[in-house]
Amino acid sequence: MNDVFLLARTYVATAIRERVTLFWFLIFPVFLLVVLALIFGRVGQEGEINFDVALVNQDAGSSDPVGFAAMVVDVFDGLAKPQVERQEPLFTLHRADQGEDPAEFLDHELTSLRRGRRAAVIVIPEGFGSSVFGQMASSESEGTPLIVYMSGTSVASEMAAEIVGQVLSGIDREILVRAGRFDPADAVTAETVWLGGGDDETLYVDFLLPGMILMGFFVNGLFGVPGAILFNRDRRILRRYWVTPVSVPRYLAGFSLGHLALCGIQFVFLFLLGRYAFGATVSFAQPAALLTLILGAVTFMAFGFLIAALARTANAGMATANILNMPMMFLSGMFFPITGLPAFLKAIVYVNPVSYLVNGLRVSLGVESAAFSPALAIGVPLGWIALSALVASRKLKWDVER
Amino acid sequence: MAKSALLRVSDLVKHYGDVRAVDGISFEARTSSVFTLLGPNGAGKTTTLEILEGIREPDSGEIEVFDVRLKRITRAVKQRMGVLLQDGGFEPYLKVREVMRLFASFFESPVPIDEVLSQVALTDKAGALVRTLSGGQKQRLAVGAALVNDPELIFLDEPTTGLDPQARRNIWSIVSDLKGRGKTIILTTHYMEEAEALSDWVCILDHGTIIAQGTPRELTQDFGEETMIEFRADELGSGALEALRSCCKDFRIDGATVTMETEDLPATMESLFAWSREQDVSLRNLIVRQPNLEDVFLSLTGRRLRE
Amino acid sequence: MKALRALLMSESRILLRDRMAFFFTFAFPLLFILVFGFLMGDIGNVSESAMGIFVESGVDRTHLDETLAAAGSMAIEPFESAEALEAAVVDREVDFGLAWNGEALRFFYDANRVQENFAFQQVAQGLTTDFDLRRQGAMPSITVEPVDVGDVASTGWFQLVLPGILAFSVLSSGLFAVSGHLTAMKERKVLDRMVVTPMPPVALLIAIVIVRLIIGYISTLITLGVGVLVFGLKYDVSWLRFTVFIACATVGTMGFGTIIALVVRRPSSASNLANAIAMVMLFLAGIYFPIEFMPAFLRAISRGLPLTHMANAMRYATGVMDMAEIEFWAITFSFLGIAILLFPVLARYAVRPSRQ
Repeated sequence: MNDVFLLARTYVATAIRERVTLFWFLIFPVFLLVVLALIFGRVGQEGEINFDVALVNQDAGSSDPVGFAAMVVDVFDGLAKPQVERQEPLFTLHRADQGEDPAEFLDHELTSLRRGRRAAVIVIPEGFGSSVFGQMASSESEGTPLIVYMSGTSVASEMAAEIVGQVLSGIDREILVRAGRFDPADAVTAETVWLGGGDDETLYVDFLLPGMILMGFFVNGLFGVPGAILFNRDRRILRRYWVTPVSVPRYLAGFSLGHLALCGIQFVFLFLLGRYAFGATVSFAQPAALLTLILGAVTFMAFGFLIAALARTANAGMATANILNMPMMFLSGMFFPITGLPAFLKAIVYVNPVSYLVNGLRVSLGVESAAFSPALAIGVPLGWIALSALVASRKLKWDVER
Repeated sequence: MAKSALLRVSDLVKHYGDVRAVDGISFEARTSSVFTLLGPNGAGKTTTLEILEGIREPDSGEIEVFDVRLKRITRAVKQRMGVLLQDGGFEPYLKVREVMRLFASFFESPVPIDEVLSQVALTDKAGALVRTLSGGQKQRLAVGAALVNDPELIFLDEPTTGLDPQARRNIWSIVSDLKGRGKTIILTTHYMEEAEALSDWVCILDHGTIIAQGTPRELTQDFGEETMIEFRADELGSGALEALRSCCKDFRIDGATVTMETEDLPATMESLFAWSREQDVSLRNLIVRQPNLEDVFLSLTGRRLRE
Repeated sequence: MKALRALLMSESRILLRDRMAFFFTFAFPLLFILVFGFLMGDIGNVSESAMGIFVESGVDRTHLDETLAAAGSMAIEPFESAEALEAAVVDREVDFGLAWNGEALRFFYDANRVQENFAFQQVAQGLTTDFDLRRQGAMPSITVEPVDVGDVASTGWFQLVLPGILAFSVLSSGLFAVSGHLTAMKERKVLDRMVVTPMPPVALLIAIVIVRLIIGYISTLITLGVGVLVFGLKYDVSWLRFTVFIACATVGTMGFGTIIALVVRRPSSASNLANAIAMVMLFLAGIYFPIEFMPAFLRAISRGLPLTHMANAMRYATGVMDMAEIEFWAITFSFLGIAILLFPVLARYAVRPSRQ
């Protein structure tokens, strides 16, 4: 048993000491978890997102007797201050300086918007105040609208325009209430019901974390296995083993043990990071989740052996892995919802073992509803393991040719 | 005599398609001796060795090792064997001690690692990563890994190729030391002086067959009482040199080097000096020496070893 | 001249036969847009989403129907019971659901659609506000007129992703030309062998640059073509800007490759470091997702990355993003400047015998 254990240790020590493998198997998944959690974990959360917005008030003169334009300005001014201390405010507000030509300022801001430096430009047109006043007297006439400039090429701008719209409808409601045209006591209640999970919306990090862990396993198997086997074979490191009494099955046992240990290390790092840096709440300590994790690690390792068996050289193996990496990862629902794909890409989703494992793990953690029947969810990965084992046992060359 | 043969090979054959890499080789290596396979690239040395190391299976033939007759090398045999591959690698990110511990784990009764490390003079490099070792240190590590089970039979495939003279001498002294401790060593090399310095028995291969074998002394003595005369003659035309052919037993020109083989040294030297005065050439780098294994190989095949 | 021609031939053969180089130059951008084109076309596009509704019998639904009619292009599917609606949401037959019992609006979401629910909730909020006003017979006192200032018709984020990917393939082609190809030549001592011949080292560098430029250019054209033909993306390419930028960016990123090759001693590590740097930049440079989504410190990092500016310049050159003309040329010529600054260093690096 000692030789198997030491072979496993060799595999782990080599992977950790070599900076390249360390980067791909540990640093990169950690980096990706951090970036994605920071970016998508915060979308739409107040205090976590900030837009550059310009405000132009063309109605500052006499035509605003009640001060509606000033009211709009005040609200946006308020939102440009941090709502919570040490957090970014919702808006960074850009206003014309004293004595600056308003028309020139607007022009400049619109250019900035086109160039992606502003998310939205709000213009309160002249006559806005009196128009609102007139609306309150008789709601039949057409009012003077506020103009919100946005840029359709920018996702951020679309989002900012949406938020500005909500702020304005809040102001609108306030005005209507004051005018006695809307009774807040009679306002309809809107309830939110979350289905398929707990009482609340699933945390993004809870959704992300299982995907990242499996991505780590996947990259580890896809690149690590052919890399280690083929490079060691071509550099005749394996041949040194074959002239000793050690056998291929024992080597394989040590290799697999080492590989699974690496997956274990990945899991621990990603889990701790997700849990303590990003507040993930999912618990992996349940049989279904643990079994899926093990099934995933074994499937991806087997897949690595399949590539090693089919590639003639280490470089060819790495190239194959690179080509398979992206489609398999992205056509699995690991990062993005995979609805709306054309049939030929859907086919990839259905033969892709990653799809079943990612969904299976998320189902077992209660952060996704089952997309496949349990038989398929286990059967397809097992099928890949069987296929890989069959091909590898026939085709994988353990020693260099003559 | 026959009792003390640790390894006996009979009629070993290995073909790759149409290529007869090994074509009916038989020999025996005695206990506590250095047995050398000599031959140019492609002569069948490496294939023979790979069969004996258990990397390849022979098409036919028999191997008798440790008094057991086998078709091919088994794992039980490997327990008592040590192999130094010609170009095997090590995990670059493993430490020297870890490599030794790993290889020791493959054997039933390994030697304490520190012992092997001091034997190959790597004790103070025990904590170093393999990738930081020099070429000579890597080769000593490879030797160490081959000795970790205290093997009775040791295969050394071109152990000093590519090493500097100092590192080469280190390996030589390890080999002599092993022989002194009663080990049987199967060596391949294409360094003549290495074969002559280390071997008890030399087996010359060409085109997959053995063309001569014996002790280095026996092999060179097959030349009888001949002596070799060598000098450089780059500026001379072959017409002028042809005149020398008549005054020696054999005569050959190899690049700029002229080699004459003679049974009567004084007479040949006299004619050579006379010829040099006549042609008005200086005999640069003139050497008079005994025949070596290279001469033996050349006379047997008409080719040089390291071509 | 003869040497240069021979080097050009051998360099192009090497690039086309080197699987990794081939992959990152041709296959990666193509694969990427093929996969992402279909994935991204569907994300966050609320106007194409479906909402299920259930109204209890006997409840007045006029205001709700008015609200929904005004809501736009979203598909509305009626359900017979709240249970059927809930099941449809969980099974993702509809994206979210709304039930109205005369007193409260209840919105149903699949708690696990964490990436999409935000957009659905925005829609729900808009519907609620509108419904509320209609029910009390009030017209909004403030109306909002949204105006799109974009000069270019954008069909969504993916239209911006594609030029970003082109920028990435230019970056990797330049980086790997030095940190992969040239360092490998050094490692295999091919370079040493060339250096001892009378061949001027500059000829080799020129050959590498020309081959990378031409093949990289062709690759960007193919990728762009696939985007236009398969996904109907619309680009208004300024060929002058496009061509000049790719040329300058390729040589500029070769300059960055030189820095990596000089910092990292072992040639094989240089290629690995280049690979790692490229991957990290890919995620931080606003190629996959907008920079605006990032927290402030990541945005700051992003603005410091050359790939961010390359992607923006590429978007400008393909007419899908606006930018000051001077900014575009400043970016372009910065890359050229880096190249001019670092090419003498690269030439010296190429011919200097490797440290062992």
